[in-house]
Amino acid sequence: MEVSFSKEIGSLRLKSGETFHGEGILAITKALLQSGVAYVGGYQGAPVSHLLDVMVQAKTYMDELGVHVEACSNEASAAAMLGASIHYPLRGAVTWKSIVGTNVAADALSNLSSPGVLGGALIVVGEDYGEGASVIQERTHAYALKSSMCLLDPRPDLGKMVDMVEHGFRLSETSNMPAILELRIRACHVRGSFECKDNRPPAISKRQLMEEPAAFDYAKLAHPPVTFRHEKLKFEERIPAARRYIIEQQLNELMDGPRQDLGIIVQGGIYNSLVRALQQFGLCDAFGQSEIPILVLNVTYPLVPEQVAEFALDKRAVLVVEEGQPEYIEQEIATFLRRRDINTPLHGKDMLPLGGEYSVEVVAQGLMHFVERYVLPLPPGEGGGEGATHLPSPQPSPTGRGSLELAKAWLQGNIERRSAVGAQIAAQLNQALPVRPPGFCIGCPERPVFSALKLAQQDVGPVHIAADIGCHAFGTFAPFSFGHSILGYGMSLASRAGVSPMMARRTLSIMGDGGFWHNGLLTGVQSALFNGDDAVLLIFKNGYTSATGTQDIISTPSDDAKFNATDKLQSLTETNTTIEKTLQGLGIQWLRTVHTYHVEEMRQMLNEAFTTDFNGLKVIIAEGECQLERQRRIKPWLAGLLKTGKRVVRVKYGVDEDVCNGDHACIRLSGCPTLTLKDNPDPLKVDPVATVIDGCVGCGLCGANAHAATLCPSFYRAEVIQNPKWHERLLGSVRGALVKAMQT
Amino acid sequence: MTMNQQKPITLLICALGGEGGGVLTEWLVDIALASGYAAQSTSIPGVAQRTGATTYYLEVFPVPLAELQGKRPVFSLNPVPGALDGIVSSELLETARQIGNGMSSPLRTLVISSSSRTLTTAERMEPGDGRTDPAPLLEVVRTQSREHHVFDMGEMARTSGTVVSAVMLGAIAGSGLLPFARQAYESVIRHGGKGAEASLRGFAQAFEQVGTQRAQTALVTSLLSEEELLAPVPKGLETDLSENFPPQVHDMLALGHARMLDYQGRDYADLYVRRLSQVLSAEQLADPAAAQGYATTREMARWLALWMAFDDIVRVADLKSSASRWQRVHGEVKAGAGDLLQVYDHFKPGAAEFAALLPAGLAARVTRWDRARVAKGKAPWALPLKVGTHSVFGMLSLRLLASLKWLRVRGSRFATEQALIEQWLAGVVRGTQTHWQLGHEIALCGRLIKGYGSTNERGKDNLMHVLEHLATGSPFASNELRAAAITQAREAALADEAGKALDQTLVSHGAPARPVKAQPIRWIQNPHRKPRAAKST
Repeated sequence: MEVSFSKEIGSLRLKSGETFHGEGILAITKALLQSGVAYVGGYQGAPVSHLLDVMVQAKTYMDELGVHVEACSNEASAAAMLGASIHYPLRGAVTWKSIVGTNVAADALSNLSSPGVLGGALIVVGEDYGEGASVIQERTHAYALKSSMCLLDPRPDLGKMVDMVEHGFRLSETSNMPAILELRIRACHVRGSFECKDNRPPAISKRQLMEEPAAFDYAKLAHPPVTFRHEKLKFEERIPAARRYIIEQQLNELMDGPRQDLGIIVQGGIYNSLVRALQQFGLCDAFGQSEIPILVLNVTYPLVPEQVAEFALDKRAVLVVEEGQPEYIEQEIATFLRRRDINTPLHGKDMLPLGGEYSVEVVAQGLMHFVERYVLPLPPGEGGGEGATHLPSPQPSPTGRGSLELAKAWLQGNIERRSAVGAQIAAQLNQALPVRPPGFCIGCPERPVFSALKLAQQDVGPVHIAADIGCHAFGTFAPFSFGHSILGYGMSLASRAGVSPMMARRTLSIMGDGGFWHNGLLTGVQSALFNGDDAVLLIFKNGYTSATGTQDIISTPSDDAKFNATDKLQSLTETNTTIEKTLQGLGIQWLRTVHTYHVEEMRQMLNEAFTTDFNGLKVIIAEGECQLERQRRIKPWLAGLLKTGKRVVRVKYGVDEDVCNGDHACIRLSGCPTLTLKDNPDPLKVDPVATVIDGCVGCGLCGANAHAATLCPSFYRAEVIQNPKWHERLLGSVRGALVKAMQT
Repeated sequence: MTMNQQKPITLLICALGGEGGGVLTEWLVDIALASGYAAQSTSIPGVAQRTGATTYYLEVFPVPLAELQGKRPVFSLNPVPGALDGIVSSELLETARQIGNGMSSPLRTLVISSSSRTLTTAERMEPGDGRTDPAPLLEVVRTQSREHHVFDMGEMARTSGTVVSAVMLGAIAGSGLLPFARQAYESVIRHGGKGAEASLRGFAQAFEQVGTQRAQTALVTSLLSEEELLAPVPKGLETDLSENFPPQVHDMLALGHARMLDYQGRDYADLYVRRLSQVLSAEQLADPAAAQGYATTREMARWLALWMAFDDIVRVADLKSSASRWQRVHGEVKAGAGDLLQVYDHFKPGAAEFAALLPAGLAARVTRWDRARVAKGKAPWALPLKVGTHSVFGMLSLRLLASLKWLRVRGSRFATEQALIEQWLAGVVRGTQTHWQLGHEIALCGRLIKGYGSTNERGKDNLMHVLEHLATGSPFASNELRAAAITQAREAALADEAGKALDQTLVSHGAPARPVKAQPIRWIQNPHRKPRAAKST
C-alpha cells in the first residue's frame, strides 16, 4: 500500500476523554469503532480509500475487537456484504467512491433496501463531486430516493461527522433502512479534532460467534410476493420511523437568528461555505452566529415535512442551498409547502447555479440576489467584502452597517482580475497557460507500452482503442492521447463488442489488473470468449490497484516473494500468475506475456496480435510491477546495503547535450517527468536540448525507445557501482587508464 | 474591534504531486495546535498525486483558543478567491494559474513562489522550443499581489539536501503570515525524524530568504529583464577573418570557424569562410549602410556552420569519446570518488548511416538493397548497439569511427550535403541581391536542418521545397510578401512533425504541397473475411 498508517492506527485506539487530531475520513473510521461496528468492507477509491486502508493495516487491533474487515473485489460485493444485517443485529459499514461505486453496487442495494435491515447498515460514500473529482458529475442522492435509503450529509466538523455515524446506525436500526453517509472530497481530507469515546467491541463478533442461523423468513427475501409488501413498508413504516428519529434526536440543526422573517435551508455539507458567504454581507460572525435563521439538513433524505413547513411558515422568503442537480431537496420542499398551502416564496436554483461545486464564491454570488431582494437594509455588522483589503478584519462599510456594495465589489473584483490576468497572459504568450493533468509516475511500467503502441500504429495504422479506468487512463493525455472511450472500471473489452464487428481493422482494449478483477474478467473476457469475438485485450499486470493507492489484489506478489527476492530491484509480478491461470482456465488460446520495458518486443507483439490469422480473443499480459511499490521496497533495501558497505549499482539515464538534435522526438514517445528540456549549451544552436534530471530511477525506457524508434544517438545508460569489489576496482583502474589514454 | 469581527488567516498552498504538500499542511496544523490556535486544513489530492498539480488550503484563527471562551470559529473548506492572505507555491506556472483563477488580491495577498519551472508535457514535446516565457508569469505575480517573494525553491531544497516542502515551510515562517514562533516550526520538523537536519537547513535558508525583502524585488526585476545567455565566445578570431568580416558577425563567425576546424579541418574551414564571404558581399550590396547590422551574414555564419558540420557516425563517435564528455557524465550522474562508473551508449545505425561513408556507387547499392527489404514488408535494416564507452573495446571502436574524417569527405552523403548547401547558399545570395529581407528569411531557413536520419531528411526536403516554390517560383505581388511567406512556411515547418501546417501554408501561397512520400503498406488480416474462431472449449 502506498501510505503507511502506523500513526493513524494509534489514534484509532484513543479512549474516552482523549482528543483525536487528523483527517475527516479517519475520524469516520474511529467513529465506526466507537459505534460497535461488527464488520467493515468496501472498495478503494479517492476520497475514501483511507478508511479501508487503515483498517486493513490495523488488522491485529480489529481482531482484538472482533471486527471483521473485508477488502471486497468491487462495490457490488461490498454492498452485498451488508446482507449480514438483514437477519442479524450486526452493525456493518461499507465504503466506496461515488457516483461510480454506487452504480456498481446498485443491484445489491435495491435487494438490501427491499427487505430492510435489522442491524444498522451504513454506507460511507465519497461524493467525488466538484474540484478535484475524477468521475462523472452525478448525485448519490438519486439512489437514496429510489431505494429508500437514509442519506446523511453532516456538517464538515469532525465532532458532528462522528456523531452522525453513530446516529446513522441507530437511524438505520429504528427505520430498518440502510443509511448512506455522504462525504464530499474536502470533508474527507479536512484536518480537525474531536473528543473521543471508547471503542465498543461488537456484541456479536468474530470473538463472540452466533451459534445458530436465523429461522427461515420469506419476508427477508427480495422476492415476490413480499417485494410488494416491502414497498408498502417503506412509506408506511420505515420512512415515518426515520422521520420520528430525526426529530427526536434533532439530527437537523436549527441555527436561529434575529431575522425571523427569512430563512435558509442548507445541506449539512455546504454549511461552512454558506457561513463564509453570509460573512461577506456582514450577515454572520466568525463563529457562525447568523442574522438569518438556518435549517441545517444533516439528513437530506428523508426530509421531515413538518420540520420544513414549520421553518418556512410565516417567512417572507426561504432560500434552499443545495449542491448539484437535479434539485431533489428543493423540489420536495416545494411539494411539502404546496400541499400545506404555505405560500412562503421559495428560492434555490433560481438564484444559485444548477450544477457544479458550491464553493464560497458561488454561494455568495447566489446569496447576493437573495440579499438584494429580501434582506436589505443590512444590519449593523462588520461589513463583509472579504477580499476588499488587507486588514486584520474586513473594513466597516461607510454606513457602519453590513454593506452589499463591498460584497459586490469583492465579487466583481474577482471577475475583473480573472479577465485581466487572462488577457495579459493571452497577449504576452499568445495562448492560455499550458495544462498540467496527472500522468504516469517516473519509471512507471505502463508508459513503455504506450510508446510501443505509438510505434505499432505506425506499422499497422491507427486502431480503435477502448480505454479503461486506472493509471493507464493517463495514456489519454499527451504525449500519447490514446483512447476512444471509457465506459467504466473493467469495461474496456466489453465496450468494444459493438465496434470490432463493424471495423476492418482490429480493435485494442486496454485494462489494468485492478479492472480485470473488479469485473473485466466477466463483463469482458467471458463474454468475448462465449461469443467467439475477434478482439485484442492488453492487461497491465502491475500487481496492485495503483491509481487508488496501490492496494493489494489477488494477483499481488506475495510478501514471501518480496521477502525472498534476492534482487529487490526486479519486478515481482511474475511470481503471481493468478491472471494467466484464470485466463487459461477460461480457455484463452492466444495468450502472450511481455515485459513492459521491452518496447521493441511489445511493438512486435502488438503487431502480431493485430495481424495474426487467429480470430479469437488475443490477450497480451503487459508485465511490470508498479514503480511506486518497487521504490518503497528498493529504497530501504539499498540504504541498508550501503550502510553495511555492500555493493550497490545505481542506474541513471542521460542525454549528451552536444549530440541531442533538439527535436524532442524522445519526449513525444515518453513524457517521463525526468526527461525534460534545458537551454542549448551550444551557442550556435537555438532549440533547447533534452536532459534527464535527478529523480530518474533508471527504468530503461529511454534506452529501449532509442532503439525501438531509432531516435538520435544521444542517450546513454550510466551505471554507478558503489562499494565495488576489489577486482572490479582493479579492472576499473586499468580500464580507466587505457580509456583515458584513448580519449581526446 | 470585537473578537467576533476577527476572521481566519487564509493560506493557499500549491504543489505538484509527490512534493510533500500534504506533509507540509499537516505540519502547519500541528504547529497551530501546539501554539494554541484553532486551525483547519483541507486538500483535494485524489489522482493529482500522480505528478499533477494540486492545492492545499489552511485557515488559522488569529485569536488563541484560550481567549475564545469555548467558542469555535467556523472555517471554510474552500479557498475564497480574493480573500487569501497568502499563496505559497513550489512552481511558477502553477502560481500564475492560481492567480489567474482570481485567488490573489493585490490589496491583500502575499504571494511566495518558486521561480523554478517544472515543464509540462505540452511544453516539452514541441519539436522547436515550446517552453513558456517566464516573464509574463512573473509579471502576473508582481501585479496581482500585495507583496511577493520569488526565489528558486527547488535549487534551495537541492543545495540543503532536503525536499521542497521544508523550504516552503521556512518561507511561510519567514513571512510572519501566521502567529507562530520560529521554534514552533522547527520543533515540528525535528519530530519529523528522518532527514530532520537537512530539512532544518532548507527551512532556515528559506526563512532568511523571505526575511530579506529587498533582495527579492531585485531578483524579480532581474528575472524579468533576463536576456538569453550565450556561452563565452571562443577567443582569438584569426586576424584575416576579423579584418574581412564586420564586428557584428565576429562572435558567430568565430564559433562557426572553430566548429569547422574541429569537424573536418583547415580546408573545410576555408570553404566555410568562402561561402560566408559570398553572403557578406551580397549583403553589402543589398544594405550598403549596414542598417541591418549584417544580420543575414551573422545568422548565416550560424546556420551554415551547423549544416556543414552535419551529424554522422564519425561526428557522434568523436563527441562520445572525448575526455570532457566523460567528465560531464561523471558529474551528471553524481558518481562519488570511490564509485565505479560504467557508461553504455545506445546507437542504432541503419543502412543509410553506413552508405553515407561509402562512395556514391556502393552507397546506391546498399540503399537499393535496403529499399528491397522494406518492399518485402520487412523493417529497414538497422543495427541496435549498446557500446560500453568505459570499456577498452568500446572506446577503441569509437575512436576508430571518429578517425574516419578522411573517409567522410569521400562518402556519398558528404557530396549530397555539399550540393544541397550550395543550392541553399545560392538561394540566400540571390535572395539578398533581390531584396535584403528575402535573403534574410531564406538564411533563417537553415533552422529546418537538424538531427539524424528521417528527421534530417524531412528538414532538407522541407527547405528545398521552400527554396524551389517560395523563394523562386510562384509569383508574389512584392518581395516583402514573398519574404513574409517564407517566414510563415519556416514557422509552420517547425510546428508539427507531419508537416500538415507547412502544406497548408504552402498551398495558401499558391505553392504546391510537398509530394507524398512512398511508404510500405502492411496488409492487415481482416477478421470478417475469415470464418469466426470456434467457441473456446
